[in-house]
Amino acid sequence: MIDPDESLVRSVGAGDGRAAEALVRRHLPRIVGLARRMLNDANEAEDVAQEVFLRVWREAPRWKPGAAKFETWMHRVALNLCYDRLRRRREKSDPDAGINVADNRPMPSDEWLARQRSAKVHAALAELPERQRAAIALVHFQELTNIAAAETLEISVEALESLLARGRRALKAALSDVAHDLMGDADGASQV
Amino acid sequence: MNRERFEQIVAAYGADPRRWPEAERAAAEAFAAENPDAAVLTVGEAGLDRMLDHAAALPDTSALAARILAQTQARAGRAFDTRALVALAACAVFGVIIGYSGGQFAPVSDVDDYYFSAAFEAPLFDGDEG
Repeated sequence: MIDPDESLVRSVGAGDGRAAEALVRRHLPRIVGLARRMLNDANEAEDVAQEVFLRVWREAPRWKPGAAKFETWMHRVALNLCYDRLRRRREKSDPDAGINVADNRPMPSDEWLARQRSAKVHAALAELPERQRAAIALVHFQELTNIAAAETLEISVEALESLLARGRRALKAALSDVAHDLMGDADGASQV
Repeated sequence: MNRERFEQIVAAYGADPRRWPEAERAAAEAFAAENPDAAVLTVGEAGLDRMLDHAAALPDTSALAARILAQTQARAGRAFDTRALVALAACAVFGVIIGYSGGQFAPVSDVDDYYFSAAFEAPLFDGDEG
């Protein structure tokens, strides 16, 4: 198995600042994206990403290419940090946690519409059980292969497919009433 | 590939073949091409794919990247300081040990030692002088 990050991680482990920068540029947006979809909170997602990279700097000198790719390992770390935060939210029962404050600044209507659509999808994702949300985030948004996604979640491919199918069914039901608006075309509602 | 497996793939991974399992992608695409009614199965999933894509934009992380890299440099600087302090402390301890031991641990060449002792042990004058 070829790991595209292997030489970069080795250089980071040897203290190469340019390699660290390249690793951040390559993975940071995707890690923040994953954490946002899991937590539905932009600030918490950034905190998670920072923690992920702190662990990367700590582990890089000891990193040995093994069964899983470095990216898979990073996704697993990010997901576990998200699970920790979701568990703490449940324990605290903080009603405001995970809710993005509405941005009321004036903006062009297209941009406003795009944000509204994105917010509706994020809200529907946030209602899914954690494991279903993680499976959809990894396969649809992160575009991991089924094998990499299953490794990240530490489950079988069959179990991954079950999570994905149940998650997608729930999303279709949750978004059916806004499908027309979200699709932005006339046949949106009939297609979901 | 049969209809049941094709339905399972589409229900789990959506309508875009790029997300289908690599090992089954070609067979599933061939099945869809040979069975026009199979395309109907993908319509609903394609709609959901498009809706999800409204939330697919990656965030701007340039400011966060700068913060993370600044932390990395600070961390590297602290690690260097720590290594330098450890090296200095080791030198100091070694110096103290050498000082208290009266130089017995200090490396001395045997050759130099021979000439040094030979020079001081040799008689200053020949016996028949005076």
